[in-house]
Amino acid sequence: MNGLLETAGKIYENTLFVYGLVLLFTYALLAILSMLAIRKYVKRNNTHQLELLSSSPLAPGITILAPAYNEGLTIVSNVRSLLTLNYPRYEIIIINDGSADDTMEQLIKEFKIVPVDFAYNVRIQTKPVRSIYKSTDPAYSSLVVIDKVNGKSKADAVNAGINIATFNYFVCTDVDCILHKDTLLELIRPVMQEERKRVIAVGATLRIANSSEFDEGVMTRMRAPKQLLPRFQEVEYIRSFVLGKMGWSYINCVPNVSGGLGLFDREVATRCGGYDHSSFGEDMELLTRMCRYAHDNNINYAVRYIPKTLCWTEAPASIKIFSRQRVRWSRGLAQLMAAHFSMFLNPRYGRMGLIVVPFNFFFELLAPLVEFSGIIVYIILAALHLINWPYALLLLLFVYTYAIMITTISILWDQLSFRYYKSWREVASLCLMPFLEFLLYHPLIVINSLRGYYNFLTGKRSTWGNMQRQGFGKKK
Amino acid sequence: MYIQVPEFLEPAWNLFQGAPLAIQLAMIFIVITTVITLLAYVSILRNRFRGYQRAKRLGKLLPLLDNLIVEEVLANQDPLAQTQPDAVQLNLESFYQLPLHKKWARQATTDRIIHFRRNVRGNPGRLLRTLYLQLELDKDNVKQMKSSKWERKVRALTEFIEMDIPIADVTILPLTNSHNRELRAAARHAYIKLSKNEPFKFFDVVTDPLLMWDQVELFRIITTTEDIAIPNFARWVTYSSNRSVVSFCLKLIVHYNQLPAVPAVKQLLDTKDHYLRAEAINCLGKLRVPDIEDKLVYMYSSQPLQCQIEILKAIGRIGGGQHIDFLKQEFLHSTNFDLRKSAAKSIVKNESIANKILQELLDTADPGRLLILKHCMNPLIKY
Repeated sequence: MNGLLETAGKIYENTLFVYGLVLLFTYALLAILSMLAIRKYVKRNNTHQLELLSSSPLAPGITILAPAYNEGLTIVSNVRSLLTLNYPRYEIIIINDGSADDTMEQLIKEFKIVPVDFAYNVRIQTKPVRSIYKSTDPAYSSLVVIDKVNGKSKADAVNAGINIATFNYFVCTDVDCILHKDTLLELIRPVMQEERKRVIAVGATLRIANSSEFDEGVMTRMRAPKQLLPRFQEVEYIRSFVLGKMGWSYINCVPNVSGGLGLFDREVATRCGGYDHSSFGEDMELLTRMCRYAHDNNINYAVRYIPKTLCWTEAPASIKIFSRQRVRWSRGLAQLMAAHFSMFLNPRYGRMGLIVVPFNFFFELLAPLVEFSGIIVYIILAALHLINWPYALLLLLFVYTYAIMITTISILWDQLSFRYYKSWREVASLCLMPFLEFLLYHPLIVINSLRGYYNFLTGKRSTWGNMQRQGFGKKK
Repeated sequence: MYIQVPEFLEPAWNLFQGAPLAIQLAMIFIVITTVITLLAYVSILRNRFRGYQRAKRLGKLLPLLDNLIVEEVLANQDPLAQTQPDAVQLNLESFYQLPLHKKWARQATTDRIIHFRRNVRGNPGRLLRTLYLQLELDKDNVKQMKSSKWERKVRALTEFIEMDIPIADVTILPLTNSHNRELRAAARHAYIKLSKNEPFKFFDVVTDPLLMWDQVELFRIITTTEDIAIPNFARWVTYSSNRSVVSFCLKLIVHYNQLPAVPAVKQLLDTKDHYLRAEAINCLGKLRVPDIEDKLVYMYSSQPLQCQIEILKAIGRIGGGQHIDFLKQEFLHSTNFDLRKSAAKSIVKNESIANKILQELLDTADPGRLLILKHCMNPLIKY
């Protein structure tokens, strides 16, 4: 019996060792790849080119889709923010997803919208559309508002928007997100610069808006969040977007284009069925399906990311709301893996099957389970006095310093490329976060991931819940 | 081997020596990650400090520079009464008070001149060019052109384009075939803008695709450059084997309303590439070529969806009125929503000719088709 336990222990130990090594190596590789990708971006792009595009008759048209559910507090300033975007040819479609508050009334009053006889083709099935509105004020001629029955998911609302979208590309965003005025110019650029591939999706960096200043939906001063929990999320976003997504983008292995902001090829998105309303991670699910569709139909595709921050979103500031968000995300990841497991290590799906899906499986889905099992084993070994404490602490210190290094490098790339934040104090406050993240923030992520998996396995009913936003309408 | 370590490090050293390989590696990596982290902090600090200094320097320089440019160049048009802008000797005394011996200040001055030049036309723009030359800012750019780094060359070429400084063909032409895509594109833009000798020559030889992004810049250069002889783009529509060049030329034909190019565009209706065929139909529609309607209607049934939509749009644009019945048939009998909508739009566009048919359709169409008609007739709905 002892021998069996010892063998199992050895196997566990060695598996964990290899797992850890691969993970650390992957992050080191991502740090290098992201540096190359960001350098390429900075070298290739200048603002003058954007100015040219902003007045060019050759600019491809873009549809912005922004679903709104009970956003009465912020809807007017957010639509105004979208109306100020700098692009020569775009339309904005706001989808009121059966809001129970005064979202619709505010839109009608503020933008002088009236119901119109609007013909549209139901390419993707959604909950019924009650009416479609257009503004009688020429200043808002690019605005379309859909009023539909609540579909209990963002996916259903966006699908209704895709159905009436005019242009070949659509940008999906949340109506509570604040976009940079050049967002559309920046997002379409990788599509127009691609030589041989068809760019089916483009994402950009998102940041936390909590302590930043806004005036009528326009960012006036970017600040690092003052509260601890949003600040942890800011650092996490920098690491995830600037280091992670940029690194993956360099080798055309982007696993996800964030639901907060992403540009998509409408034809591919429609043909593969649009967003899945039953998914809790509908953004990642759509991209996976689009890539799958592209492979199945021999489309030589690319998914690109840009390191510039183009979108600010309000992050949960309380543990309760934060947990709800993360439980949903992890449940979405589990759903996605279950639905697309046939792509796992399947050479037919190229890099998607051989790199993206296995990485997500081993290092996103399994990571919380591995960590949790590690802690349990640690406790058992400690209770049995089988731990060599100096060595154990050294290994822990190694992981701790490595994690700090990776996060600090992502902050460095961000600072070297764009020098965000006005004062060095704000940057210093971010640099402090990696030291605390490991101890305070990371355990929260692990716990909520496990809860998400539990909900997925047990099929527990789960709702989207309300984010309880404060809004960006007036200067804070 | 005996290594002398400081006394305070001795416990760690002893631990290292007695540890298994994995722990030794971990200890080495702790040192490496710590050093990299510290270096990252130093880089962040250094970068922010440099940025702060740059902002401070520019904060002082730019208001002075802007004042001087406005006072000495833009608001001072007196010398132009006697002489051409290119020959004016500007009063540079005040400019020499600025730290123009420093590279950053010269670059900032160049950037500012370019900024102003983008916003003015005619004599003020030419005076800004004179200022640039008389301050000898072009010399820095010539140096940049000799750099081995492609991004510097691109910057230099862009600056030459902006300032309209001629460059010898022998300098640019080799760059138009560079392996680097950005440099290649910038050189082509510069060639079209600055070459006095067959600016469109590279259209003949280009084999790689002109990206949509390049087309934006090329289009701007071609359509805004003064004194450029616009050729008949039919030449490339007929002879170029590069699909992107043909596609781009179709856009230019529409922009310049080049009716002599119509026969060449018509030939594209027989091309096997249906994307290009759709673009050609689009071009003919926008040129409102009246005698093409019959051919378009004739070929309609054998076309893929994209071309069919373009044919319906083209008939609406041309507005000859001979094929309203065809539009009506498509509107009533097509099973595809986009075709029905395009046909309806074209009928509505020709309302003056198709008044009766439109009224008849409004009276008799089923609810789905009626909605499409109302959609197309509503002035609030753009698309």
